[in-house]
Amino acid sequence: MRVLCCLDGTNVEQVSKAIEMLSTSQPLTIGLIYVTDSGPRHDIEHLRERFLRPPGPPPPREEEMRQAEKSSAQDILNEGLRRFPSAEAIQRQGRPEREIVNAAAEWQADLVIICPRAEYGGRHTIGPKSVGHVARFVVDHAPCPVLLVRPLAREQFPIPR
Amino acid sequence: MIAIGGAAVLLLLGLISPADAFLTLVRDWNTFLFFLGMMALSALAEAAGLFDWLAVQAARFAGKSAVRLFFNVFLLGSLISMILSNDATALILTPIVYVLVTKLRLPILPYLFACTFIADTASFLLPVSNPINIIIISRFPLDLWTFVRLLFLPSLVVIGINIGVFFLLYRKQLKGTFDIGRLPSAEQAVKHQAYFRYTCGVLALVALAYVIASAIQLPLSLVALSGAVLLLIGALFWKQTSLGQTAKRISWSIFGFIAGMFIVVRAIEDTGLTTMFGNWLIRLSGGTSFGAVMVGTAGAAVGTNLINNVPMAVVMISALSGIQHASPSIQHGFIAATIFGCDLGPNLTTVGSLATVLWLLILRQRGVDVSGLDYFKVGVVVTPLMLLAGALTIWLLL
Repeated sequence: MRVLCCLDGTNVEQVSKAIEMLSTSQPLTIGLIYVTDSGPRHDIEHLRERFLRPPGPPPPREEEMRQAEKSSAQDILNEGLRRFPSAEAIQRQGRPEREIVNAAAEWQADLVIICPRAEYGGRHTIGPKSVGHVARFVVDHAPCPVLLVRPLAREQFPIPR
Repeated sequence: MIAIGGAAVLLLLGLISPADAFLTLVRDWNTFLFFLGMMALSALAEAAGLFDWLAVQAARFAGKSAVRLFFNVFLLGSLISMILSNDATALILTPIVYVLVTKLRLPILPYLFACTFIADTASFLLPVSNPINIIIISRFPLDLWTFVRLLFLPSLVVIGINIGVFFLLYRKQLKGTFDIGRLPSAEQAVKHQAYFRYTCGVLALVALAYVIASAIQLPLSLVALSGAVLLLIGALFWKQTSLGQTAKRISWSIFGFIAGMFIVVRAIEDTGLTTMFGNWLIRLSGGTSFGAVMVGTAGAAVGTNLINNVPMAVVMISALSGIQHASPSIQHGFIAATIFGCDLGPNLTTVGSLATVLWLLILRQRGVDVSGLDYFKVGVVVTPLMLLAGALTIWLLL
């Protein structure tokens, strides 16, 4: 089974656990994808337009931004590769949700593994809006089944009846 | 191009005489030279690595806490806006913070928005904090004490609101810590030790000179230009940049835009339209200082989002030419409110104007990849609140 795992820089542990559970039943071909979100770069361009400047930052700064994106993406994928050395790493740039579903189709994934949203140290809370826009889009548009991996939240129960 | 084209058409049609256009531009020499000095100062300070160094220090002082770094970005943005203007925060600090948080693997948008918003929110702490302030006070001189008395406290109020609302909005994303090992060293940011120290010294002098020049009502453009010349001499001496490289970092097209706007608005003045607009604003204020502040703020803020804050400031100074006959509190109310509305107003749409927002909405409906609307969503929440609180504070201080 071809499994495409979506990394976000905060979820390698959770994705690994899911893969370990799945791999007990059948052999897996693993793909690791990380998408650098191009949204913030567009926002910076809009900001420059408002200040009546040409869209792109000056070349040295532009190169510095590109390098930071590239090395951060590579670090995140390397973390995944350290756990699954035989996995295929896929690095993309664009709108994460669209890049993921397109990559899933191109890579002929049988399953996409994704976490509800990047967790930056906060506790994952269940309930409305617990699934971020990227995961929601992937669930809605993926060309294959999607496994939404979230941390255990038993301590948040019972919920009001 | 549109502004210059408009001015050229008006000249060709004889709606404004070349002599009148020339005099209009000469009258506003302080604005042009301030823009030049401000852009050169920022470019030369950037060449010294000052902004990169400050960003690394902000991260170091945060310990490992994402939330403290967020707060430090606000403080740093306020400091840079106050001394080097909102241009420096928005255009130079924002990409630096983007690189920093990308390396630290922190959520990018909260920090990016912090930089973008604080650039405008902290842009009326001092007259030099926004070129718009120079455009307005060149026509309606405000001594430093009056400027600070009317606008410093409202600045602190809106900065507080900005920080508070952003903490509420992004509290979940800011709970984590970052790995200090991913932080570049402060020494890496400094390109040349001696030039860096020299830049810090010159900027400290410039900050002091700004205050003194504002207090004795000397043109601030002369301070900015002198500071830029001093930095340029240092940069050339230590071979950190060349004249050509510095010139490339200055956006020369801005001068055409401003010149075009001044000429277009001067021609409109002759039709009596701006006077009508001004009289309408004065009537709407009901002849009270409260009305002057509220109407001035709302008019300027709405206008900056319909066009852009530079043209709106030029329109407002022309429209308010009739307030000389009003009482001092109404005059000060209108002037402070115009500065406040034109400076803070852009935070509503941030991407530039309502026209841009509408265009982005159309593009998104057609499934085209757009951003910018995220800014608008945040701006709509926080900016009306800041405008109201700031305007009320200005009124209380009149």
